[in-house]
Order: sequence, then C-alpha cells, then structure tokens
Amino acid sequence: MSTTDSSRGSSWRIFLLVGRLALAGIFLFAAYAKLKPQAAMPWSAASIRTSLSMFAMQVGSYEMLPPQAVKLVARTLPFFELGLGLWLLTGLWMRFSSLATTLLLSGFFAVMVRTFAKGIEVNCGCFGPGEQLGWKTLVRDGSMLALALGVTIGAFLMRRSPVDSAISTTASEPTPQGAS
Amino acid sequence: MIRQNQVALRLPIFAVLVLLGSLALGFPSQTAGQAQKRAHAAVDSAAAAPPVKTLGNKSAPITMEVFSDYQCPACRSLFEGTLRPLINDYVASGKVYLIHRDFPLPIAAHTHSWEAARWANAAAKIGKFQDVDAALFDNQLLWSGSGDIEKYVSGALNATDFKRVQALMAGACMNDPGPVLNPANLPAGPSGHACSLDNYIEQDANLGKQIPVTQTPTISITYKGQKYPASGGNIAWPLLKDYFDSLLQQ
Repeated sequence: MSTTDSSRGSSWRIFLLVGRLALAGIFLFAAYAKLKPQAAMPWSAASIRTSLSMFAMQVGSYEMLPPQAVKLVARTLPFFELGLGLWLLTGLWMRFSSLATTLLLSGFFAVMVRTFAKGIEVNCGCFGPGEQLGWKTLVRDGSMLALALGVTIGAFLMRRSPVDSAISTTASEPTPQGAS
Repeated sequence: MIRQNQVALRLPIFAVLVLLGSLALGFPSQTAGQAQKRAHAAVDSAAAAPPVKTLGNKSAPITMEVFSDYQCPACRSLFEGTLRPLINDYVASGKVYLIHRDFPLPIAAHTHSWEAARWANAAAKIGKFQDVDAALFDNQLLWSGSGDIEKYVSGALNATDFKRVQALMAGACMNDPGPVLNPANLPAGPSGHACSLDNYIEQDANLGKQIPVTQTPTISITYKGQKYPASGGNIAWPLLKDYFDSLLQQ
C-alpha cells in the first residue's frame, strides 16, 4: 500500500463521515422543523397533529397529489425523515441509508424543479413553514443531493462491513470496490 | 227635485276629487325629491363608513385573512374550491372569522385588478361585499378579458344597491385608471388618492407587506390571538379543514 493510497483512503473516510453526519443532521432538523409545535403550543400529540396539518397544506400547494394522498405523505414523511436521520447517524448499512437518502432527495429535487419551472409559487415546506421555493432553495437542495450522491458512491466504493467503515479506526486499509 | 239634489251632492264630491287630483299632481315631484335626498344621504353615509370586507363572527376562535387579487386565477380557485365551503360551514357556524384583504398584483396581465378591488370596496361600504366578491370571482374569466366589471357587479346587486355602489364609484374611481400598483412602492399610509376607495386597497396592501405577502392568494391565520405562519397558493378545502380542526382541538 502506497502513502498516496492511504491518504486517499483517509480522505474518503473523512468525507463519508462528515457527509453522513451532515445528512443525518439535515434530516433530523427537517423532521424536527415539520413536527415541532407551532407558536405558543406545547409538545403534545395534538400540537404535532396541527404541525402535520400545516405541513399538509404546504405539500398540497405543490398541486401534484389529491388531498387524501397529500395527507398520507404529510403524516408519514416527517417520521420517515426522522428515521432516516437516525439511521444515517448510526452508520449502520451505510450504503443503503445513503442510497435511500439520495433517492429521497432526488424525488424532492425533481418535484421542486417541476414546480419552479411551472411558475407555481409555493412554500418549500422543506424545513417547516414560511420558506418560499426559489433559486436559493433549489441550489441548497441540489447541493444536498450532490452530497448524498457523493456519500452513496463513496459508501459503495468503501463497503467493507455492515458497520460504516468510516467510524472505525482510520488505520484500516481502504477497500475500493474494484480491489475487493 | 230628486235630480237637483243629486247634482247638488255631486258638486262637492267633484270639488274634492279636483282638489285631491291637484294635490296628487304636486306630490310626485316632492316624493322624488325626498327619495333623491334619501339616496344622497345613504351614499354620503356609505362614503363615510369604512368598507366591511369580513364574514362571520369577530369573536370566532380562528381568524383567517386572505390576501387576494381579483384577477389572479389561483385566488379564484381558492375562492371557488375552498372559501365557499369554508363560508358555508366554518364561518356560518362561528368557528372562523374571514377577512378579505386586497392585494392587487403589479402584473401587466392584471390590468383590471385594481378596478375590481374598487368595485368590491364600494360594495363593502354598503354591506354588499359578499355578493360582489362572489360575482367578481365567478365571472373572473369574463371581465378579465373585456374589462367590463360593472356588468357583473350590476348582476350581483338589486337596482337600488347597484345605484348606491355606482354613486360611490362615480367620478375619479371610474375615470382614473388608478395606480398601476406596485405594493413594494406603496406609501406607509393613506396618500389621498383621487378615488377615495384606493385608500382602503392601499391599507390592505400595506398590511400584506408587513407579513410579507409575496404571492396571491396568501392566507394568514390567527388562533386565540396567536398568529401562525402565512401560507401562499391555493389550498384545498379538505387540507384547510383538517388544519382548522386540529387547531380547534387544541
């Protein structure tokens, strides 16, 4: 093993660790922003229901789904994001968690681009209410998608064990897919 | 003898009839004058009163403000698909107090938005906002093309009310094209437009700027004195209803 290969492997590990934790943080925050009680309400099942109803209005404003489907998406998506965030945080089966993240972000991004291209003015709904969809949100979500894609590719290249190799000791040898 | 008595009896009757007839001939001008005075008084009092663009009970737990442009298709969709059932159900049952706010967009295609808002405000001054508001949205596609808003306002009101609204619109409100409004450039307060109705539109637009409204329709909801984040775009009634139900269960 050359020094160059070793340093490249370390860089990949650092990228995967930072990327994975960043994505975990993004999804945990996104879930929190959608579930958190609205102004002056305490945390309770009723206040979470209100927050989800508010989120449903934002999903509905994309004008893509009938109300019943909108309600279903709005009631499940924040919990899915929460689960995905926790999964990314643990680093378990990282190839699959990062792939799921990439697919989800691709879906979000496609919907946002479609809506923006059609000239429909909506609240993004990405991180709670009050954020209008525009160039800024597209660039941000596009960057998140690029990061997720990079982490997914890296995870597949670096796959070694069920537990994320990036959280193991940096002394171990990187095993790119082609070499294993 | 009998014949003479009959003639004698008929003469006073004839005299009374002549007197009544002459009085009757004098009455119409007096009655018309009084009616005209009453109409003028009604217009004067309406001109002084602020327009009432609200529906429902002010003490309802939920207050919903809708910032709207009469020429915006999404506003029409919101009105037809969401506000109508809202008015018939939650406003009627005292759960929601609905406030209309004018927010004519500075878009070239919306050349009649401002004028439509004037008609709505004039109608609101005589307590006929709901009828004209509905007529404007129902016929949006028709008057947007022709610019003949008056026709659809007249169709929504009886002759007397329409005359009162027309009187409020007379003069500057009819002839002056109104500010080609850019809400971003609106002054902070009433600026003494030639058409006094413009001041009410401007007040609404200024309230929208504070939110800030960036699109129409935008709805702003207040529940038990607490304002919640504004939502833009068309919102389906089942989703809004679900949101209101969740608020009311708090």
